[in-house]
Amino acid sequence: MVSLGIIANPASGKDIRRLVAHSITFNNQEKVNIVQRAILGMEKVGIKKIMYMPDYYGIVPRALDGLPNSYHLHVQLVEANMEMTGTQEDSTQAAEIMNQSGAGCIFTLGGDGTNRMVAKGCGEVPLLPISTGTNNVFPQMLEGTTAGIAAGIVARGLIKKDAAVKKMKKIEVLKDGQLVDMALVDAVVLKDVFIGSRAIWDEERIQQVVVTRGDPISIGISAIAGNLQLVEINDKYGMAINIGPGKTTVMVPIAPGLIKQIPIKDYQLINPGEEIKVAQGPCVIALDGEREIEVGENDNYSLKISLNGPRVIDTRLALREAVAKGLFISEQLIKTS
Amino acid sequence: MAQMTYMEAIRDGMRVEMKRDPGVYIAGEDVAQFGGCFGVTAGLYDEFGPERVMNTPISEAVIVGHAVGAAAAGLRPIAEIMFVDFMGCCMDELGNQAAKMKYMFGGKAKVPMVVRTPCGAGMGAAAQHSQSLESWFTHIPGIKTIMPSTPADAKGLMIAAIRDDNPVVYIEHKQLLGLAGEVPEGEYVVPLGKADIKREGADVTIVAWSWMLQKSLAAAEQLAKEGINAEILDPRTLVPLDKEAILKSVAKTGRLVIVHEEVKTSGYGGEIAAIVTEEGFDYLDAPIKRVTAPDTPIPFSPVLEQAYIPNEEKIIKAVKQLF
Amino acid sequence: MAENKEKLLEMYTTMVRIRTFEQKAIDLFAAGKFPGFVHSYLGEEAIAAGVCSNLRKDDYICSTHRGHGHLIAKGGNLQLMMAELFGKATGYCKGKGGSMHIADVDLGILGANGIVGAGMPIATGAAFACKYRKSDSVAIAFFGDGASDRATFHESLNLASIWKLPVVFICENNGWAISNAQTSHQNITDISDRATAYGIPGVSVDGNDVVAIAEAADAAIERARKGDGPTLVECKTWRHRGHFEGDPAIYKDPKDQEEWLADNKDAIARMEKKLVGLKYAGQDYLDKIKAEVREEVEAAVQFAEQSPDPEPAEVLTDVYTA
Repeated sequence: MVSLGIIANPASGKDIRRLVAHSITFNNQEKVNIVQRAILGMEKVGIKKIMYMPDYYGIVPRALDGLPNSYHLHVQLVEANMEMTGTQEDSTQAAEIMNQSGAGCIFTLGGDGTNRMVAKGCGEVPLLPISTGTNNVFPQMLEGTTAGIAAGIVARGLIKKDAAVKKMKKIEVLKDGQLVDMALVDAVVLKDVFIGSRAIWDEERIQQVVVTRGDPISIGISAIAGNLQLVEINDKYGMAINIGPGKTTVMVPIAPGLIKQIPIKDYQLINPGEEIKVAQGPCVIALDGEREIEVGENDNYSLKISLNGPRVIDTRLALREAVAKGLFISEQLIKTS
Repeated sequence: MAQMTYMEAIRDGMRVEMKRDPGVYIAGEDVAQFGGCFGVTAGLYDEFGPERVMNTPISEAVIVGHAVGAAAAGLRPIAEIMFVDFMGCCMDELGNQAAKMKYMFGGKAKVPMVVRTPCGAGMGAAAQHSQSLESWFTHIPGIKTIMPSTPADAKGLMIAAIRDDNPVVYIEHKQLLGLAGEVPEGEYVVPLGKADIKREGADVTIVAWSWMLQKSLAAAEQLAKEGINAEILDPRTLVPLDKEAILKSVAKTGRLVIVHEEVKTSGYGGEIAAIVTEEGFDYLDAPIKRVTAPDTPIPFSPVLEQAYIPNEEKIIKAVKQLF
Repeated sequence: MAENKEKLLEMYTTMVRIRTFEQKAIDLFAAGKFPGFVHSYLGEEAIAAGVCSNLRKDDYICSTHRGHGHLIAKGGNLQLMMAELFGKATGYCKGKGGSMHIADVDLGILGANGIVGAGMPIATGAAFACKYRKSDSVAIAFFGDGASDRATFHESLNLASIWKLPVVFICENNGWAISNAQTSHQNITDISDRATAYGIPGVSVDGNDVVAIAEAADAAIERARKGDGPTLVECKTWRHRGHFEGDPAIYKDPKDQEEWLADNKDAIARMEKKLVGLKYAGQDYLDKIKAEVREEVEAAVQFAEQSPDPEPAEVLTDVYTA
């Protein structure tokens, strides 16, 4: 049985927010290095079999290739048996396969966009998302080795899941009442007609925003909510905002290094199930920071908050719980327990 | 007239043109505060500022390549390549881009740029820092190749090179940098393609350029003592070549010796000999002689290097063989 | 840009013009109408059209051996181009350049180029000239994935970075360096990764999405105009044809070829569907554009065929500027 999955997105961290904002380019060799450290961490806590998503760069094979010849790895790595499309759909497909294969955790490298695609396929398998994207509200900036250790500990069930795994909210995108897509952090309706280069940076195009969370420490669109009123991960509600002159304005870092004054027409907290109708098309819906859906003139889209999002590992809590249980006292103990 | 060295004269030529034409700038390795590897651009950074005298990375291809683009876009760059030996690192930019742009585009481009580069042996710099490679450039139509031998020519040819609307390779000899002489002040221009008789004589024509011109002058003094009156012709620019001047001199003397520091095989002396054979065979009273470096890389040991470099003795010997 | 219907239609027309010209050039070459090499730009039209839609006449471009598309997108005259392919006296270069050396300096086109990777230093120099003159013009260097392995790429990005030059490096990653797949000639897949080594921004975009390209190019060009320095933009695309006409491209997997040529991936088909869907243009209007472009190309062929050959004595002119 597969004990753990790795989904590393080679395309994350390269869009044009490097030009229109001040994001860094996350080069793929750095992702290889993170994965390499994570695998070594996973191995040390007794993970025996890891499934990974094939990708055009070969992040996991390169991570293995980069180990010293003399290093004998005690973990088996298998590629998910899937047809690679080279698109973001690969992440969803890989997550589905890992879910079906019984993985105890899926370790992801990407930004909000990557994790959105993983969340579409992972079911109840908890995620450990490492940030290598542009807007990183959902994933965390973590050290690969310790994140790998935490992922391994949760995947093997060495600690109680409740202690370190949290259920997240999500946004459901409905077309004519039918679920067609989802977002983890934010859904934004834009005055635009093209998906184009995907990124959002022109605040004047933003019409509507729906978020699952809002925290002033975040970067990106969800910070609009965060800078109006805190919406915590654990709160059982989200927020809907109409952008435009009216009620107030708020200063928001809508992309890395890009801080704008956003006019707020009105905003409200919304309960799960409450439907927010998307403005009449043509317009574009961006999900977790990327333009995704081109809405036609006669299309009928709406957005709503759901409490049934993916489960996510709190790495800090997981490691503390492991310490409390004395798991790190002996290497032998953690490997065999 | 001012007394200045060959190096000061090159600098003065650049300075005069930079003052006259705001489109002239200098770019190359260590040319700014450092003043260039041999000090040729010393002081120009202070005088013209960082926007017109610029250090580049050690990137010969883009030093010459950017000059091509800047020239095509209307500026007049002076690109310095630290040693002519390094030209291999930018031959595409010079030979395939700068040289051919005008022709390939049906005459609708202008590439007014100068590549300044020092050549020559004599300082123990061995095989990769001592060569004379003028034939690399003369072999490519579209480039002009200049090799001054005196301070006055160094200035006059520099000004002409900058004003010329074609890519010009301006090769200065390291052994001549300290040579002092009279140099006209101001906008002194030596037209390209005009040879200069540096010493008049009736018995033999010696065609030589750059450092070898100075060696030939010295040899001529020795020969004069032995009753042979040599005419020393300095073509100054190899392309365009003043072949009329050469033919005229050979018509007068009936004998021709060509002296260059390049290796013999495929050296530019072979070209001159061929021209004189084709167009002035009847003037010749004796075979044409070439005094050149041997077909070897340049050795390091001073003893070996001296054996490599053509000198007065070899020139005198060659001349005497014609009588 | 999204609301700019005119610009979208203009980019569409440019793509159609490139494709029609290229298809004609291929047919004419196969029929033996002119000698030399033809490197077809088919499949990559969106890049030239998207990038050049943001350029002014006083901006410069340096093109490649696969250059017809860039020249057309920058405003090149089809008749003069076609006549040049035919080697006629009326061609852009009076018949002296041919397919790989077409230029129009007045339009800022500093030439196609027969040497892979040679345009980058030249564009860097043109950008230097823009900055030196304190104008807000920019220079674009087009090049391929193969050229990104050349020293000129590294030297140019480095110099442009330290001198903060207004140049945008547009990498047309069509997956092939002649017959070598990208995986066999470099150990990376996103060429934009190389930008970080020179301290400049690098981004990757879908090279078959003209809107995505135009957006990225617009952002990069704006940076350049404002004095913020160079950018590397990688456009991922696919070369429909072999390296040159006559190359049967046996090294390509037919399945890949089929996928890339399908309507859901082809830049022109995608744009067409979108324009019709948004009601920016009816299919009949787009068909009319195609018909007009066909006529334009036919007129170019006629002009070329009826033009005189150069006089043999012309071989000797244009070597030097007097």
